[in-house]
Amino acid sequence: MADTLLSGFRALDLTDEKGSACGKIMSSLGVETIKVEKPGGDPARAIPPFLHDEPDPEKSLHWSAFNTDKKSITLNLESNQGQELFRRLVEKSDFVLESFTPGYLDSLGLGYEALARVNPRIIVTSITPFGQKGPYAQYKGSELIASAMSGVLVTNGDPDRPPVREGPDSIYFRSDAAAALGTVIAHYHREMTGQGQQVDVSLQEVAVSRTSSNLVAWEFDKRLIKRNATIRTVGARATQWLWQCKDGYVFWPYMGGKGGSRGNRALSQWIDDDGLDNPLKKVTNWEEFDFAAISREELDVHQEAIRNFFMNHTRKEIAEEGFRRKINAAVVNSPADVLEDPQLRARSYWVDLEHPELDTRLTYPRHFFLCNQTENFVRQRAPLIGEDNLDIYADELGLSGAEIKALKEAGVI
Amino acid sequence: MAEKGSMPEQALAGVKVLDFGWALVGSLTSKQLADHGAQVVHVESITRIDLSRANRMTSGSSATNPDDKPWFTHLNTSKLGICLNLKCAPSKSVIERLVRWADVVNANMVPGALGRLGFGYEQLSAIKPDIIMAEGSAYGQTGPMAHEWGVDGTGGALSGYIDLTGWPDRGPVGPNVPYGDVVLPFFIATAIVAALDYKRRTGKGQYIDASMLEVCAHQITPALLDYEANGHLQTRNGNRIAYAAPHGVFPCRGDDRWCAIGVFNDEEWEAFCRATGGPPWTKEPRFATLNSRKENEDALEALVAEWTGKHPAEEVMRIMQAAGVPAGVVQTMEDVAENDPQLKEREFLVPLKHPVMGVFGHPTPPYKLLKTKAQVKTSPCLGEHTEYVCTQLLGMSDEEFIELWQQGVLR
Repeated sequence: MADTLLSGFRALDLTDEKGSACGKIMSSLGVETIKVEKPGGDPARAIPPFLHDEPDPEKSLHWSAFNTDKKSITLNLESNQGQELFRRLVEKSDFVLESFTPGYLDSLGLGYEALARVNPRIIVTSITPFGQKGPYAQYKGSELIASAMSGVLVTNGDPDRPPVREGPDSIYFRSDAAAALGTVIAHYHREMTGQGQQVDVSLQEVAVSRTSSNLVAWEFDKRLIKRNATIRTVGARATQWLWQCKDGYVFWPYMGGKGGSRGNRALSQWIDDDGLDNPLKKVTNWEEFDFAAISREELDVHQEAIRNFFMNHTRKEIAEEGFRRKINAAVVNSPADVLEDPQLRARSYWVDLEHPELDTRLTYPRHFFLCNQTENFVRQRAPLIGEDNLDIYADELGLSGAEIKALKEAGVI
Repeated sequence: MAEKGSMPEQALAGVKVLDFGWALVGSLTSKQLADHGAQVVHVESITRIDLSRANRMTSGSSATNPDDKPWFTHLNTSKLGICLNLKCAPSKSVIERLVRWADVVNANMVPGALGRLGFGYEQLSAIKPDIIMAEGSAYGQTGPMAHEWGVDGTGGALSGYIDLTGWPDRGPVGPNVPYGDVVLPFFIATAIVAALDYKRRTGKGQYIDASMLEVCAHQITPALLDYEANGHLQTRNGNRIAYAAPHGVFPCRGDDRWCAIGVFNDEEWEAFCRATGGPPWTKEPRFATLNSRKENEDALEALVAEWTGKHPAEEVMRIMQAAGVPAGVVQTMEDVAENDPQLKEREFLVPLKHPVMGVFGHPTPPYKLLKTKAQVKTSPCLGEHTEYVCTQLLGMSDEEFIELWQQGVLR
């Protein structure tokens, strides 16, 4: 097997749905990632969808999606024996990933300071709604709450309805990427100095960090940018970025200046070739085209023509002919379309993983990025509950069969 | 740890980055490294102005001054800035020296563009075989779409992210903030730092090819599996999710004020009922279980909205959170920048002085290394460090520097 970027390191992953993608990123980099679940399994295994719509902790497709390549052990961290076993695992590990309410692990004697006494090199990455400290640290959170509190949610949706969430759990996913980044930076420093530390990730802050363009509009002009459906405000003018076409939707940002010039010119040409009314033709120099310099009315006339144009074409035409003409459009794909996307297929983006216990095989994204010296790939389905108990407790910690049996009976594992 | 009076140590101290990054993806990738102590030399040119130096996002931004754009500053903190016209032949010798100096090269031009300038991975790794080079792009460096240009929503549209966002009876929508452009940099920076550690252990460099489409598609994996395994094609569903009810954004007292609430389990439902003072409807059997609440969600949401509408959003959040129910005000930028006590206490925005724009808030990395804290400095003005980098970091003689300057290479 080809090498991975971080093979030879080990993570203990205590996270629920808020943090599971962080461990997935680490495991794709080759970190041996052990999900430490409470007896009965991670509560996030209750999240739908389920295979064949059968609610069952071993059939959550949501859980499967973000826990690939991990091992699983069960452990009751609230028992003394469980805490002792956990400390022994920490001695032999490089990372702990967790998403408990701040203070919970401290109350079990397993907070960062306590774990650092066991293993000063340990890096503890904590992913929580509002971070480890501060007046909201004990507040409950979620994808939607983080979006609300960050200034992202207020900018999304139709003006005549409540602000609306992003469909996928985008804030969890990006927070977990931020957490992986913080973890790897702390790791680099640890390898240079021997010093571990805690990495504190707040879902709210991760979401706020997307809002720079709106933050500066407030800070400099006291201007608030609100939800406006398919209209995007970046700079002086709000322009349409999402358009309806004959059989779906298309992303085509109407942008000024050099950035938009090639696509604008190509689109204008296509409108002409279609024989449609084309007010864009009046623009002679697209490189210098500045939305700040044209009137709102003129912009409306442009956008009306573009709306008519897209309604005249199918997704397929826009994808194929649009690509040939370099209009820089992207069709809005459904999940089914994504699986068929030719670009993803050409890059071997998909991998089939066997689920022998479920008598099925499912196709997963294979990589987050490609490297020329290493293969940081998704390779194996998510684990069953406690699937690796024997390997870890017997082989790794050297517990006897009788000891493991006793721990099971005591409800520790 | 730190000597008295000196700056405390940073996690990536000693790492050297040659940065061709621009727009959002490239700029934000190297910002993560720079804020944590890497020395980042950001290469720009007056002949190819960065998107964020040109965008007149604020009223005080001019069409002519590249240094009066706060958006650029947010994206490019803590870096050194040099001007180098890559289309001028003598720039090659400067780049060669920068590559020898650097551990990492970061870029996000349209695939192939850097190679055509003579600075692709093949050319740079010939100069320094163990260089780590990362390139971010919309589609990736290979495949039929590789050379196509894209922006934030390109990845969002093609990956299914946009299709899943909005109301079931209407077309898709997107927030007025980026997603693809801001999630990809975290992955590239992760790959770069992991590659630095890999190089420490193996001596080998690395080429990293990261695509916005691929990262964005990854996050919809549950919807992909649901389609493959069950034939369910997920689509827009407003604010509802399958495993919580009520789960939505509810109107509050005031103009366009809202509070998000999510009730995920029975315990939280009981807490919700207590928090609202237990009006009769909360005791109705049709709302007693998650399943029954899901079945009667329209009626449930209308009743919740009736209750929230009587209170300011902040009060709804306080009451709910005090009872143990996840809730959060739909904050505006004013709330975020001025009034949020959590962000304030955690110093998410640090006020820093920029030589042209004065003092304003600069966002810190949203992941805090508690021992080796990020140290955010303001962004460079265009070419601010050209002389320092050439003469001090690269050891160029004054004569050569002046000659390059006169040839117009350093602009």
